[in-house]
Amino acid sequence: MSDSLSRRSFLSLAGGTAVVLAGLGLVGCGGSSSSDTSSDSTAKALSGTVNCSGATSFQPLVEAAAKKFEDENPDVTIAITGGGSGQGLSDVRDGKAQIGRSDVFAEEKLDASDAKALTDNTVCVVGMGPIVNSNVDVDDLTTDQLKGIFTGKITDWSEVGGTAGKIQVIERKAGSGTRATFEAAVLGGESAPADFAPVAEEDSSGTVVEKIQQTEGAISYLAFSYFDDTKFKALKVDGVEARAENVCNGSFKIWAYEHMYTKDADEVTQAFIDYMMSDEVQGSMVEEQGFIPANDMKVKKDASGTITNA
Amino acid sequence: MAKRLMPKKQLEGVGLTLTGACVLLVALVVITLIFMVAQQGLSAFFVDGINFFSFISGTSWVPSDGVYGALPLIVTSFGVMLLATLFTLPIALGSAIFVVEVQPGFGRRVFQPLVELLMGIPSVVYGLIGLTVVNAAMRAIFGDAAGTGAGILSGGIVLAVMILPTVTTLSIDGLAAVPNEYREGSYALGCTRWQTVWHVVLRSAMPSLMTAVILGMTRAFGEALAVQMVIGGVEKVMPAGLLSPAATLTTALTSGFSNATTGSIQYHALWALGLLLMAMSLVFILIIHVIGAKGAKNRD
Amino acid sequence: MTSETTAKQVGNDLGVDLDDHVKRIGRQDRVATGILTVIVAFVLLLLASIVAFILIRGLGKALTPGFLTTSPLADENPGISSEIFDSFYMLIITLLISVPISLGAAIFLVEYAPDNWVTKAASTAIETLSSLPSIVVGMFGSLFFVVTLGWGISIIAGAMALTMFNIPILVRVIQQALQDVPRSQRDAALAMGLTRWETTRHVLLPAAMPAIVTGIVISAGRVFGEAAALIFTSGSAAVNINFASVNLSSPRNPWNIFRPAETLAVHIWKLKMEPTPGNDEIVWGTAAVLIICVLLFNILARVLGKTLAKKMTSE
Repeated sequence: MSDSLSRRSFLSLAGGTAVVLAGLGLVGCGGSSSSDTSSDSTAKALSGTVNCSGATSFQPLVEAAAKKFEDENPDVTIAITGGGSGQGLSDVRDGKAQIGRSDVFAEEKLDASDAKALTDNTVCVVGMGPIVNSNVDVDDLTTDQLKGIFTGKITDWSEVGGTAGKIQVIERKAGSGTRATFEAAVLGGESAPADFAPVAEEDSSGTVVEKIQQTEGAISYLAFSYFDDTKFKALKVDGVEARAENVCNGSFKIWAYEHMYTKDADEVTQAFIDYMMSDEVQGSMVEEQGFIPANDMKVKKDASGTITNA
Repeated sequence: MAKRLMPKKQLEGVGLTLTGACVLLVALVVITLIFMVAQQGLSAFFVDGINFFSFISGTSWVPSDGVYGALPLIVTSFGVMLLATLFTLPIALGSAIFVVEVQPGFGRRVFQPLVELLMGIPSVVYGLIGLTVVNAAMRAIFGDAAGTGAGILSGGIVLAVMILPTVTTLSIDGLAAVPNEYREGSYALGCTRWQTVWHVVLRSAMPSLMTAVILGMTRAFGEALAVQMVIGGVEKVMPAGLLSPAATLTTALTSGFSNATTGSIQYHALWALGLLLMAMSLVFILIIHVIGAKGAKNRD
Repeated sequence: MTSETTAKQVGNDLGVDLDDHVKRIGRQDRVATGILTVIVAFVLLLLASIVAFILIRGLGKALTPGFLTTSPLADENPGISSEIFDSFYMLIITLLISVPISLGAAIFLVEYAPDNWVTKAASTAIETLSSLPSIVVGMFGSLFFVVTLGWGISIIAGAMALTMFNIPILVRVIQQALQDVPRSQRDAALAMGLTRWETTRHVLLPAAMPAIVTGIVISAGRVFGEAAALIFTSGSAAVNINFASVNLSSPRNPWNIFRPAETLAVHIWKLKMEPTPGNDEIVWGTAAVLIICVLLFNILARVLGKTLAKKMTSE
């Protein structure tokens, strides 16, 4: 009874596939090009799409800001994707995204000429500090002690004034922005000896949090935004507490910029960057998310890591 | 379908074309994939000038410093795979024998559906459990020697649980396919159930059991996110033992891919890892074919 | 040695050994059965504890009012509404693409396939696809679908990557289902003068339908939990979906297949990687939701298969 129907539906299913696939290619190209044109063809009310890919470390901040921005400009879409700093920088270099998020300077990842073509917008600063398992009875380490621990020269807590016990060093992956920042500030540009193997090299802050909680005698480092007293303990460095105001006045040395790189920004993109730098974001949102407003900084860093007074 | 719209021959042609096109499309996608992975991976050697032999024999992998020695990753990949197989095999085989030979009714109605459910649990969830339970257990058992608890052993355990359903279901199928006459013959000779299983059933099901194991190994070799969460991720030195934190080919990919800019040497080196992974899965398939051919020959 | 003495010795040996032997193999048999029972119990216990662990950790959050219906970007008590939508939407798109292709490919391989190298190459290709690590498929997708075809990080790129996993599973299930149709039915249809195509459509497919539907739903459960291949193809950022949007090309329009998306499995992975306060609960809550979905898929597959089979035979 439903014979003719099932026959037709089956034919259309099997045959339609090829058509669907062929069609997708066309629509695909159409879709991406329309977002480019719409973003620069506006007069008053902003409209268009901004693709923003890259570092995941401050993605929550950008997501929160983008949502507010979209609420205020209903015709604008900020399409946020992750992928990491490398992805963000290559996307903005290749024009695949209007904004590339990165937690390292573009000069460190791209060819000099490519990096030069990009505009650096440092939307905020992230402080990072050493953290230890809650059972470790050390509260303060000097930079030299930290250096000893992270190069494998100091291996027991008793060597730095704590109860004897093995120091379990948890690193971040080589190539991560957090690790680059930490090594630049603590190891002074040196890198750990090739034969020094930490007990873990984690891909993400999330696994660091998990491991530091579980592992007795563990030490690692994290961005302030992940600090959580209930899970682990943050250490002082050279007697200076890991806090935003100490980063601002230059007494706490381990910090980095969060960059939003653009290339020949169009109107909507620039409007969103301006919004990121506005009081609305810098005033409250940045701090709520655990970052430090770029405008509050009394010192600044360049791509080679040199710190000067602002 | 009282009236025929097309002559039979034409209708047959339509069917052949439609279904043939589907097969062709799949084949085309696979060829494209192999071609692209090979192209990107090989350019690490031919364009960027990484020496292939130092690539597979180098003992340190630090892509951000331009050090590309994939041996620790290769060793770890095989290590976790073999460990997982070792843990899984007796359990999978044991439960398959139970289900087919001891309690077939319970097996079909209760056990098999439940094991299939285990197969449906997403790998991130396995990773999540591994991170909270397995790593902590390692520390509880081995103390400081286990470091954070992350390491090859943890990876092997999590993978063992993940491939258990695959190996079990395929083993069940393999055992169930053994003709009943074999069993009856054995029982008629006065053999016990265990003797029948050990000497007759397992022996004649050997090719399909080996296929089951190798398919499980393939899955273990290619798993990424679950392993990444529990293995510790140390890429720059060779793993020293079962408790050492290490990284597999797949975890080096997931973590490296986000830090590499497209087109860079680092990016191509990561594709070369992908190429290695792909080559290995082709080898696995080859092995399965060889076993299949041998099994067919033995049966004749 | 004469033949008589040999026979006597054997008889003696047998006489002494046989009892012992029977006892020994009897014991062996009981021990083996005991061990097997323990193993099966262990597997069931493992399964039960995995599911129970997730549900205990996550069910509380999953059942919190609003968790399933609030956007992940909400300022207070973020939920997982867009992840749930994205997961199902991506699944549907994947099935829309992969079911017809798999159906066609399986029919070809079972009914038409000439016994030559083309067929062999095709089935080897499908086999290769089934053994590829998901991360390699993800990398390929990120290059081919996202860059070469210009689809960008999008639902369709993710769905295509998922399709590549799903096709080998589906082809195998459908092939099996078609082959399981009794030979007599096929022969009868062909003898009546029906073409292969008609036989397949009017006889084989209806007969195999229950098994096919079960297979599709079970494969859907697998696709639903895949994450590795999606991170590079459909992205790992929650989208600020606007259900009021009528502009199909807007990345905020839920139905736009060229917008990025984040599925439940990817959400778990991302939150675990970038922890913020309160995340742990969301992670386990999401895991519980994911497990329940997979459970439902399994039950649905069985119920659907049974009902269909009943319908087929009663008609």
